[in-house]
Amino acid sequence: MATVETSHAPDRDEPLHLRPGQLAVLALVALAATVAARFFDHAVPVVAAAAVAALVPRRHGWNVRGPIAITAGLLALFVAQMWPAAEATAASAPPAESAHLLSWIIALPLAGAIAILFLPRQAHATLRWTTMLVMLGTFAASLPLLRVTMGRGYHFNEDVLWLPRFGIHYHVAIDGISYWLVLLTVFITPIAAWASFGPIQKRLKDWCFALLLLEGGMLGAFLALDLFVFYIFWELMLIPMYVMIGVWGGANRIRSAIKFFLYTMFGSVLMLAAILYVAYQYSRASGGTWTFDYFELQRLLAPRHVQIWLWGAFTLAFVIKVPMFPVHTWLPDAHTEAPTAGSVILAAVMLKMGTYGYLRFSMGLFPEAAQEFAANLAGVAVLGGIIYGALCAWKQEDVKRLIAYSSVAHLGYVMLGLFAMTTASLEGSVLQMVNHGISTGMLFLLFGVIYDRRHTRHIDEFGGLAKPMPVYATLFVVATLASVGLPATNGFIGEFMVITGTFASNYLGHFAGVQAVGAAIGVILGAVYMLMVVQKMFFGPVTKKENAHLADVNGRELVALAPLAMMVFVIGLFPNIFLGPIRGAAERVQGDYESRIEANPPPKFYEGPFKLLPRRPEAPHAPSGQTAVAENH
Amino acid sequence: MLSLFPSNDYLLIAVILGMPLLGAFVNGVWGKQLGKDAVRVMALTAVGLSFAASVAAFVALSQLADQQKGEHVKLVWNAWEWMNTNGGAGGVTVPIDVKFSIDALSGVMMLIVTGVGFLIHLYATSYMADDEGFARFFAYLNLFIFSMLVLLLGDNLPILFVGWEGVGLCSYLLIGFWYEHAPNAAAGKKAFIANRVGDFGLICGMFLLVHYTGALDWNGIANGASSLLHTGEQARVHVWPLGGGQYTGVLSFLQPKSPVTISAATAVGLALLLGCTGKSAQIPLYVWLPDAMAGPTPVSALIHAATMVTAGIYLICRLSFVFVLSPFVMVLIACVGAATALFAATIALVQNDIKKVLAYSTVSQLGFMFLGVGVGAFTAGFFHVFTHAFFKACLFLGAGSVIHAMHARIHDGDPSQDLRNMGGLRRWMPLTHWTFAGATAAIIGLPLTSGFFSKDEILYRAFVNRTVNPAAAALQGRVYAPPAWIGTALYATAVAAAVLTAFYMCRLYFLTFWGEFRGWTVGRPSLLSKHEVAAHDDHGHGEHHEDLSTPGHPPHESPWQMTVPLIILATFSVFAGWLNPGFGLSRQPMEHWLEPVFKEATEGAVVYAGGHDAAWAEHMTLPLALGGIGAFLVGTLLAWWMYVSQSGAPAKRAAEAQPALHRLLLDKWRIDELYDATVIAAVDSLAETAAAFDRAIVDGILARLTALVVAASGTVLRAFQSGVVHVYAAMMVVGLAATGWFFAVPHANATVVDSGNNDYLVTAAPGVGYAYRWDADSDGKPEKSDFGADSTLKLHLEPGRSQTVHLEVKNSFGLIRSKSIHVARPEEPTSSL
Repeated sequence: MATVETSHAPDRDEPLHLRPGQLAVLALVALAATVAARFFDHAVPVVAAAAVAALVPRRHGWNVRGPIAITAGLLALFVAQMWPAAEATAASAPPAESAHLLSWIIALPLAGAIAILFLPRQAHATLRWTTMLVMLGTFAASLPLLRVTMGRGYHFNEDVLWLPRFGIHYHVAIDGISYWLVLLTVFITPIAAWASFGPIQKRLKDWCFALLLLEGGMLGAFLALDLFVFYIFWELMLIPMYVMIGVWGGANRIRSAIKFFLYTMFGSVLMLAAILYVAYQYSRASGGTWTFDYFELQRLLAPRHVQIWLWGAFTLAFVIKVPMFPVHTWLPDAHTEAPTAGSVILAAVMLKMGTYGYLRFSMGLFPEAAQEFAANLAGVAVLGGIIYGALCAWKQEDVKRLIAYSSVAHLGYVMLGLFAMTTASLEGSVLQMVNHGISTGMLFLLFGVIYDRRHTRHIDEFGGLAKPMPVYATLFVVATLASVGLPATNGFIGEFMVITGTFASNYLGHFAGVQAVGAAIGVILGAVYMLMVVQKMFFGPVTKKENAHLADVNGRELVALAPLAMMVFVIGLFPNIFLGPIRGAAERVQGDYESRIEANPPPKFYEGPFKLLPRRPEAPHAPSGQTAVAENH
Repeated sequence: MLSLFPSNDYLLIAVILGMPLLGAFVNGVWGKQLGKDAVRVMALTAVGLSFAASVAAFVALSQLADQQKGEHVKLVWNAWEWMNTNGGAGGVTVPIDVKFSIDALSGVMMLIVTGVGFLIHLYATSYMADDEGFARFFAYLNLFIFSMLVLLLGDNLPILFVGWEGVGLCSYLLIGFWYEHAPNAAAGKKAFIANRVGDFGLICGMFLLVHYTGALDWNGIANGASSLLHTGEQARVHVWPLGGGQYTGVLSFLQPKSPVTISAATAVGLALLLGCTGKSAQIPLYVWLPDAMAGPTPVSALIHAATMVTAGIYLICRLSFVFVLSPFVMVLIACVGAATALFAATIALVQNDIKKVLAYSTVSQLGFMFLGVGVGAFTAGFFHVFTHAFFKACLFLGAGSVIHAMHARIHDGDPSQDLRNMGGLRRWMPLTHWTFAGATAAIIGLPLTSGFFSKDEILYRAFVNRTVNPAAAALQGRVYAPPAWIGTALYATAVAAAVLTAFYMCRLYFLTFWGEFRGWTVGRPSLLSKHEVAAHDDHGHGEHHEDLSTPGHPPHESPWQMTVPLIILATFSVFAGWLNPGFGLSRQPMEHWLEPVFKEATEGAVVYAGGHDAAWAEHMTLPLALGGIGAFLVGTLLAWWMYVSQSGAPAKRAAEAQPALHRLLLDKWRIDELYDATVIAAVDSLAETAAAFDRAIVDGILARLTALVVAASGTVLRAFQSGVVHVYAAMMVVGLAATGWFFAVPHANATVVDSGNNDYLVTAAPGVGYAYRWDADSDGKPEKSDFGADSTLKLHLEPGRSQTVHLEVKNSFGLIRSKSIHVARPEEPTSSL
């Protein structure tokens, strides 16, 4: 309609023109890319993506444009390199797998954390750059993972005997399940750290130490295949997060930190007991050989009445971490009080530890018990997660609480996909773990932006923000759409795979169809609560005068947000790149599960003494003389 | 042309799709820096080139169709592999590619979207010229064109869904375009959520199709569609009990005598129908469309009249071969359509907002289209989509032109759209008037205009067509047969709706363009000051309210960017009907063009009513056409009498005679309030309950109660840790006494071990200075009267026998404790097998 604002916008953008120096930089980038074209076949899309991305930010210098251009170029290169056709041609000569790569990935942040201890407390810049360099170094170190075709098996296997008396190995390896989770961790931790370097001024040295320790712990937990080592890493990542909430958190931080710690600890102590019991029973069944190795313990077939308790102990630890109804209430408290970077890491990575653990350990070690409860737990995931979580989210008045409850709903999809146990639903679940990390991580980062300006989380304190902060509003809408699962964003792919997989599942009894429909209802509810936030925060008139002149996202925040915004569309448009590496492992896990259930069919499953099943073909072959059995005989 | 772009790798589709996307990106990111001229050029070039490429593709398609007569030809572009899923019944992998195709159906729609889209873009360059969000507006509009093209050209359901949600998103953004006004943003949200309810249906439809047909692309679904109608249980969807389970125990009253099942075809059809009612604003999800008029008028014309809202009809046409498998769903579609057509028309009768009338008219016309496709007349339904795109776009743009003129002095949104402030505009706005008149003639079904032909065909088909289950013979009676009166009922409803259509459209037309102008006092231009002229051109959205009684300029005609699209659209509105004139004429280009698309679906599924043959149907043509023509005459003449010859007095009298009914119609039957009070209130209170439950019960019990218990025990235990030495000493005394007593008393315990050969060893627990005395047969007399050191007893028991042993233990203090141990040997298994 022919209406016009009489006041001319004072912040009118200057026209787009490049200064000579900027042109020179652009030319240099182009030159470098042309040179790089000798090594990569995909220079044109890479340069194009980088050039366009460099032009996107308005009113920002090259310190912002540069990183965004580099990110876009790298993502374009990533898509081109990982393209299925490209993979097929490159598969002729599989690259050599370094046996120590994963150890480097775990050790770098841990070593960095120790190095931080020797830096002076006052040298803020040095501390920040050291942390960033270590994290980016870890990211770079993990890039060789992308060159490997994942397939069904495990890669980069490293197995070193550590404590011979109990057969404890330092055993790390990666497969399609942990692949993207590891990459997600090394991708999102630097972003969270980078975003935190504005608001966090207090005790910066301790903060950097905690961040690096946390990253090392999370990577170790995703990669460890010895239950003892897994448990060490599992607890290792708990402490830095506890400290992060307790020291740098909001007003009620101590209470939330303790709640977080107690909930998580309660589950993990039971898991420790179960781990010890399983290893003990293994030693009895195998005639005195102790081991904590995942593949060895997977062979142990426990009678039903014992298995249920063991499974329960593991599962309780994992579902608290996920979190699933009814043990989810620590999450909103932890999220609201945690600093932005803490919330990002907590949502993006740490919650995945629960879903990953359930898939890897609960379902991997005790498939019969998992099957016995799958249909019921899937009901909990749908009713208590997807629907209840969404309804609770709708009624929150604290934005961070709302996003936390949306996590409960999103992880309901992930768990539903795991319970359904079809290859499609497994692929969808694992992808949804990554998706949730990206979209919810982005939401928390975005909320951190406004929190730094207004220091309130109450949704009614905002309103009409689209006027003073248009770029911020755009990015928030992008994150919202990803969270709502709009097709062509990442959220849709995961949800779609989970729902189609669930409907076809044989493991949910006759409820598979109802649960698929229930999960689809979540699609409506997701739109209800997320659009409510967008409308209340961004649209309508500016109601509070504090909001009228808020500054739009600054360079540091834009650099942190841009990679996530790009990933939303990269995954949404090219999901096959991401699903491909998962597929083999999903088939393997599904096959293992199916064969165990078929061999020990419900409802009795297996009642009899503990016994060892034959070794599975996919179990990685350790270097000779290093397997648990060989050492201990 | 075909040699440059082979039909199986038709890269021109990339241009058709890519240009609007490029326009959206450029305008969205750099729009403000580029300035309005560049934005205008970018937006128009993007859609214009897309239209040119569409025309080229359409020509190529028609050449291909000529080469392969009667075949369902497609121009296909497979962009890249999107994802795979394997939810199929046989565990087969279902590839989902980013794949686009142009066939006869999507080709026509593509031309409408880009063609009408271009005209509306052109119109908007003038209409929105003074808006601050000019660049943002065109970015959204270009993005909409892109999404709509993805929806139309997508070769499988998920890609269609990308476009489906994309247009929903653009609609959301454009309804809330003036987001600072809170109701606009709320209307956008309402539209998005109502559409999401529909999307829920679409998602359900997708996983059902994956499961039953093992495909999601059009060809694959067509090939696997027959498996939707298997007689076996695997193709039945259990509705109640949920999923086909059993309710036992306290729930057994829920168990029906025989389970309620529907065929997979019906389930898929119902799910997809829900999606279509959402997008195409049909009962029960129509409520968002009238509110969507909060967006700028070009948006209403393009998205909420001509293109997006017809997506539901497009989907039904596209998957016609799935829908026809379930006559029940077909009849439901027809009934929903007829009901919506009549219902929305009643609301449109009394609305005073020019855009609201057109909005309800759109809902009503979409109902006609649903009716058409619901009776299996896919071509007729689609032809109405085609003609409706022209006349409704023209009507909305004409309304926009009127509003534009009214804005000269009435700056508030609502009064400037109020019919009661208009009138007599034909004097000052001749082009707008004549184009509006042409489009009105089309919608009310003036004979020989486009709306006449398309609507008449729908009415005719509603009466003569009947849908039957194509696999009825194989299914042996387990099929739904629509009642015989359904055709008459549908025809009568549609005719009634047509009468109302003619009436409310003529009312709108007469109130706007005839009579006296009621907006403000029109003065002589020569007497008006220069200042007035300047203010007039500014269209300023000042907060001040002008005194409308002072003389002002008469309303003005719009600039050429707005009138040219009106002229073109009005021309099409009047003459496009000759593309498919019906009435048994030999030249039916549209019917012929679309025949390959619908041929397979309608064969065997759509028959003539009552077992009649084609000759009967032909015979019925003219009698049935009288209904349509009669509706036109009755509605038009009634409106003429009420609003022109009697100047609105009868309407006022009627409203006063039935104030309650008038109020109810004005309040749109209060359906919004009904939804608020039922569905929305229910979900809302459910959410409130959930949130309260979470706070009080879940967190309360798991966290706070546990913490309370731990704290309480801590408090109790703390009382003992008082730091007073006397208390500690007293505690120590009590503890020592208890320990001493424990040691002073013997403990009679024994374990029983099966030592084989039917022997048992009963071993008493050892202790300091213990001596034992056994009474193996429990006759009260121990074997040995003295206590001895023998702590074990050997028992021999035959299978099935049991024995009670009595043990007495004495310690050094001479205290004696005793215990009876029951030893039973189980029966030997009779057979070792």
